[in-house]
Amino acid sequence: MSTTGTPGPRLSARGLVKRFGATTALAGVDLDVAPGESVAVMGPSGSGKSTLLHCLAGILVPDAGTVALSGRGLHDLGERERSLVRRRQYGFVFQFGQLLAELPAIENVALAPMLLGTSRREATELAGRWLASLGLAGMEGRRPGELSGGQAQRVAVARALITGPEVVFADEPTGALDQATGQDVMRVLTETTRLAGASLVVVTHDAGVAAWCGRRVEVRDGRVVADERRAPQGSAR
Amino acid sequence: MSAVLALAPRLRRAGGRDGRLTTALAVASFAVMTALTLSVIGGLLGFAGRAADPVGAFQREYAESYVVFAWTAVVLLVVPLLTLGGSAARLGVARRDARLATLRLLGVTPREVVALTVVETAWQGLVGAVAGAAGYAALLPVWTRVPFQGSTFSAAELWVGWPVLAAACLVVPLLAVVSGVVSLRRVVVSPLGVARRQTPPGMRAVRAVLAVAAMGLFMVVTLVLGQLGAFAVAFAVGSLALGFAALNLIGPWALGLIGKLRVRRARTPAQLLAARRLVDDPRATWRVVGGLGLAGFVAGALAVAPVLTSGSAREGASAAEIAEMQTFTGDLMRGALLTLVITFLVAAASAGITQAATVLDRRREYALQVLAGTPVELLDSVRRREVLVPMLLVAVGSAGAAVAMMSPLFGVAGVTDPSGLLLLVTCLTAGCLLVLGATETSRPLLRSVLAEPQVRPD
Repeated sequence: MSTTGTPGPRLSARGLVKRFGATTALAGVDLDVAPGESVAVMGPSGSGKSTLLHCLAGILVPDAGTVALSGRGLHDLGERERSLVRRRQYGFVFQFGQLLAELPAIENVALAPMLLGTSRREATELAGRWLASLGLAGMEGRRPGELSGGQAQRVAVARALITGPEVVFADEPTGALDQATGQDVMRVLTETTRLAGASLVVVTHDAGVAAWCGRRVEVRDGRVVADERRAPQGSAR
Repeated sequence: MSAVLALAPRLRRAGGRDGRLTTALAVASFAVMTALTLSVIGGLLGFAGRAADPVGAFQREYAESYVVFAWTAVVLLVVPLLTLGGSAARLGVARRDARLATLRLLGVTPREVVALTVVETAWQGLVGAVAGAAGYAALLPVWTRVPFQGSTFSAAELWVGWPVLAAACLVVPLLAVVSGVVSLRRVVVSPLGVARRQTPPGMRAVRAVLAVAAMGLFMVVTLVLGQLGAFAVAFAVGSLALGFAALNLIGPWALGLIGKLRVRRARTPAQLLAARRLVDDPRATWRVVGGLGLAGFVAGALAVAPVLTSGSAREGASAAEIAEMQTFTGDLMRGALLTLVITFLVAAASAGITQAATVLDRRREYALQVLAGTPVELLDSVRRREVLVPMLLVAVGSAGAAVAMMSPLFGVAGVTDPSGLLLLVTCLTAGCLLVLGATETSRPLLRSVLAEPQVRPD
């Protein structure tokens, strides 16, 4: 934990090691993510980037090393407590399939605050405002199958951010979209996350997607081999 | 075509642990369906044999009526048994949907996709039918302990014969194939349709009108007939089929309506999700609880049996006549209870297998929800609610409908006789607990699915 006047990292990983049988997916990864920072984790298939995301998100428990969210170690928490952290302090955007097919868009978004105890009425009102702010006014009653891929990902973004998370994890958020729609979704994701004051960790193999983030971390063979900061796409607006 | 068909064994092996599990579940369901169907046919043949060659005064007097009641049992059981077979076929096909859709996208023709399904589903049906035939043989000693007409059946009386066994091994795979091909239509029509879910078209209220009209017609005709007689009993058998048709018409429609009401009233995530699933596919829920609905119908009809027993001790009857009537009504109750137990078992098997299929079909969705922090307990709660609420409504509703339909035949006493109602409540409670227990068997499967976090579809 930071003892100086400057704020510590929102998310901090130290010496992460994760093995699956004889395969070492992570071989000692250190990574800090500052509040409001957007980080693209890049690397080829099998490089360990998804495993890193899973460890940072408390989905997987590393074999060695620590993960801390705002100074609080996740490694000491049980599955139930880590699940609570994911529900309260994290938001997730996956490639596809995270929206429940039988729920209309507004209920998919409202479900997240309802899981935290918000009343259905309040959660629905809040979800309606989030959908409208993401350009989905009038589509509240549509089910995921009745939305385009880009619209569905916008709903997923709303669902990830509606609870006011500290960190949003996105795993190949544009993987199922065409390039133009993918760019649009990344713009919405990065802008909205920044406005919400959350940090963003995007796992991708697409340089075009990574360009929307202010920092690029490259993972190969379970290690961070490059870490560079540059102005993200769209930041000049 | 032959190159594609050569893929069939590979597809069968490629499913991994889940694939083997679903195959085992499907085969087990076909086996249960076959064993129970053969047992029911054996019973029918047993009673028909006694009617054709009656021994003693009792059989000469009553054997024909027993055949009518045996047919009643067949009518009662045929729909749940077919539903179970259909669920088994759908379970087998569901696991292959994604792979078959991929094959379609790679250029495999619809005809070839259907051929692959036919080969795989027929294979499962055949293995299940053979296992079921063995199960039927194993059950024979159980059935020979149940007394009817004052004596137990011999195994020879209940033996369906080799031609019927051979026919079962032909018909069960055929039924499996038909059911499998029907549920594959969406892959064939649109490979993308498997992944895309849209608001299903609503079911029309005309279903309810038709069902109520069918029930009303039955009640009016039975009132006109006035009294019990051989024709009225035969008519009652036919009317049961009518009642079932009415239930199957009204069931999914009513569940959809109830789902809409529950969506409006839902306050918690579990209530909302369970209600939305009911609205999303009331036919699927009906497939789970429909068997119990039919069992509830049987139980409702059974509630009037004590009236028949009390009616047997009429004034002026000789001791021999009273003993005969007591044997007759005792057999009636025993047969009805036996039918009811089988129906409950089939309903429980249907519920268990459908829930297992749901868990496997939705495993990616479930895994992503849990990764995003959704408590597993919520998924359990939704799964339970999905079955519990419709089941109670269906079981109680159909039992009430049966009591109402039977009241013109047996009078108000049939409804108010406390022993009959007690029997009804006991049967329904036991049946509901059995089905709930069966749905809980998918709980470890859900845990096992969630133990493998696969965020990516690949």
